[in-house]
This record gives sequence, C-alpha cells and structure tokens, in this order.
Amino acid sequence: MLKNVTEYYYPGSLAEASELHDRESRSFFISGGTALALSDSTRPVELIDISRLGLNKLKLDRASGNLKIGATTKIQRIVESEAARSVLGGFLSESLEEIGSYPVRNAGTLGGSLVRPFPWSDVIPILSVLETEVTYFHEGDKKTREFSKLYESDFRSTLNRSIITELSISLPEKGNAAAKFIKFSRSEFDVAALNLACRLTVEDGNISEARLSIGARPMTGERIEKVENDLVGEKLTGNLAKEAAIFAADVTDLGGNDKLSKEYREQLVKKMTEEAIVDIKREVANES
Amino acid sequence: MKVEFELNGEEKSFDVEPGEVLLDLLRDNGCKSVKRGCETGDCGACMVLVNGRAMTSCTLFAAQVNGREIRTVEGLEDELAERLKESLLEAGAVQCGFCIPGVLISAYSLLSRKENPTEEEIEAALDGNLCRCTGYIKQIEAIKETSNKIGGSRDGR
Repeated sequence: MLKNVTEYYYPGSLAEASELHDRESRSFFISGGTALALSDSTRPVELIDISRLGLNKLKLDRASGNLKIGATTKIQRIVESEAARSVLGGFLSESLEEIGSYPVRNAGTLGGSLVRPFPWSDVIPILSVLETEVTYFHEGDKKTREFSKLYESDFRSTLNRSIITELSISLPEKGNAAAKFIKFSRSEFDVAALNLACRLTVEDGNISEARLSIGARPMTGERIEKVENDLVGEKLTGNLAKEAAIFAADVTDLGGNDKLSKEYREQLVKKMTEEAIVDIKREVANES
Repeated sequence: MKVEFELNGEEKSFDVEPGEVLLDLLRDNGCKSVKRGCETGDCGACMVLVNGRAMTSCTLFAAQVNGREIRTVEGLEDELAERLKESLLEAGAVQCGFCIPGVLISAYSLLSRKENPTEEEIEAALDGNLCRCTGYIKQIEAIKETSNKIGGSRDGR
C-alpha cells in the first residue's frame, strides 16, 4: 500500500499521460506495477496508469523485418509468442523465461523493467546483445535510440520524464548467428547474482560480429566492448572461448556485494563466458 | 476512488484508496482464499486469476484491475476446479494448506490453457508458489492426475 497516493489516473493518450506526469513531480507511471506495488515509499502521490494506451502490440514487421514489442507487453506474452521465438532460434523467449516466476512475468511488462532497472536486471544484457532500438515519448515527440548506447549513457535522467513506447529488434540478415543467456543465482527464486548474454555472428568461419553484455556485476548490465572487439575477425574455436573468457574476467568492471565477492564474480565471468561461446559455437556448427 | 471489475462472475464496484493493493481489497471483501503471505510477490499465496492469467495480488494495485475479470478460489466451481481439488486431497498434496489456494489457481490456469502438460510444464507453472510442507511432488502428481481425468472424460473414457 502506498499511503501517500491520492490520485490514480487512466490517461487516454501519451500526451495526456505526459502532461499529468509533468504537472506533479511525485507522480509515477504504472503498467505492470510489480515493483511499485511492493514499495512502501512515501514519495509517490499520483499514479498514472499507461496500460490502456495500446502499447501492448507485438508483431513481426514484415517491411523492416524487425520484431516490434510495445512497452506494456507482458513479459510472459513475449515468452509465449511465435514471433519472439523466431529471434535467434528462440534466444529471446528462452532468455526472458529466466526472469522471475510465471506470475511475475504475467504481471511485469517489458517497458516497466527498463525504466528503472534493478542492477540485477536480466533484460538489460539480453536486449543489449541484440540489435535493439528503444523508442520513447519525450516532451511531445517520439525519439528512438540504440538500446545499448542509451543504457551506457545516463539513461535514468533521459527516461525519467519519458514514456518508453516500443522496442524494435532487428533479426540478423547474414551469416550464422546464435546467442546464449546464462544466469547465476543462489536459488530458482532469487534474482541474478551475475548474468551474461553473448551473441556471435559467423561468416566464412570467422566471427564478423560479437556482443557480450554482463549484468549484476553487481552494477547494471553493460556491454564489454573490449572483448567484443577482440573476438571480431577470429576463428570460432574452443581455444578462442578460453582466451576470451580470461580476457573478459580481466577487463569487466566487477565488484562484491552480499550475494557474491568480487573474486567469485571474476571466476564466474570466466566460466560463463567460455560456456556461452562454446554453446554458440556448437549451435552455429549445427546450423551450417 | 471507484473501481469496477468482475469478481468471480459478478460485476462489482468498490471504493478503494488509489494506493491500495488488490490483496487487501479482496480479503476485506470476503475472499479469504487469497492469503496474506510474503507480500513481496514471491510465495504465491495471494495468487488470483486476472483475465485468466495467474498473478500475485500483492503486486497489483486494486485500481489496475478496473474493468478486468478477477477470479479467486471462491469462484472456481467448474469441473476442472472440482477435479483439481479432489486430486490434491487424494494425492496428499495438502498439509498445512496455506499455500493451496495459490497452488490451485496456478494449476487451474495451467490446465485451462494446456490439456496435457508435461512434468516440466507443471513445475514451471508452480514456480511462483512456495510450499514448505510437501516438497511439491504430491502437488505435481495431483495436477498430472487431474489432467488425465479431464483428458479421459473429454475422450469419453
């Protein structure tokens, strides 16, 4: 129960939602509601429900070849969608299924998990390794940014007065691409103590594109570009996986918290990076 | 503020606080099957069906379900629900019983959309329900048994 909330609005448009939000600095957008309903914060005084603005469409856009996901689409709906299953052999749906539990995914929305992501967010690394664009409504206009670039920057202040409207994921056009998401948590129910996503595209036996993103470091997920750059142009072998894993543990900015020590995380990064690359190698070999 | 939704098949209207969670509203209005457990969305004791989907009512504001369809165990009276209740009892899946309304909702939601779920699918459907007594084995067996019974009656066996 949020005791100080005195108003709950159902705006009919993005402009109206935005206007309501601008009017009261202690207003909060709500769609899935999962995180906010759990809070006992005294700060929110108004809630603005954006779940009825038609931002829950999910479709494969044939013209662009992109998967378009409305921001208020429930995570479980994406998991179950045929269109989402077409992304990298099921990578997107299988990875999103790792989030929370079935009822949490039924209530939680994709956009909601991106506005104020927890440092252990699984969504950030998952979407960072895909060609994802995020569209948001800001000061009367829709703006589109590359997902991983937005989250490398000061996304909190950018998104603070904005409404995320849509995510667009482009499917790889050439080469053999595969991706892997690995989550380490202390129990089935617990949030990630470390999570890692990797995508590799292979052309003529060599890696033409590489993405590696690590979250719950314990900081929010980010791409490890030094490793990505190192992988491009290399032949995808088991030995490369080992070398990349050592390098990833060396260059990733890691820390310790009550879940894991920094040293434990370093070992996990090594193990998980190697496992992800070896799995991708296997998948790419099966496809070719 | 006023919130209107269908509760267990009946159109209802409630006066709620804008920051009130659905769990409180339902319990205050007689739906005692909706248990107050962890209140952090982890244990599943407060599970309800929102437009047929299992969700924890402690993580939803009452105002969010305006115009939606809510079902609690009090409103589950069809053949599937009755068979599930029987199977849970017969399998010995009910011990202290506190988690059972939530388990029933999760199982009902699963069997409503999938006639013959695999053991893996049953486990996945129950991953939002904590039971500290049974170890889940009996509950999984009961859901399998219900699936067989319902499948059998559909096949005319």
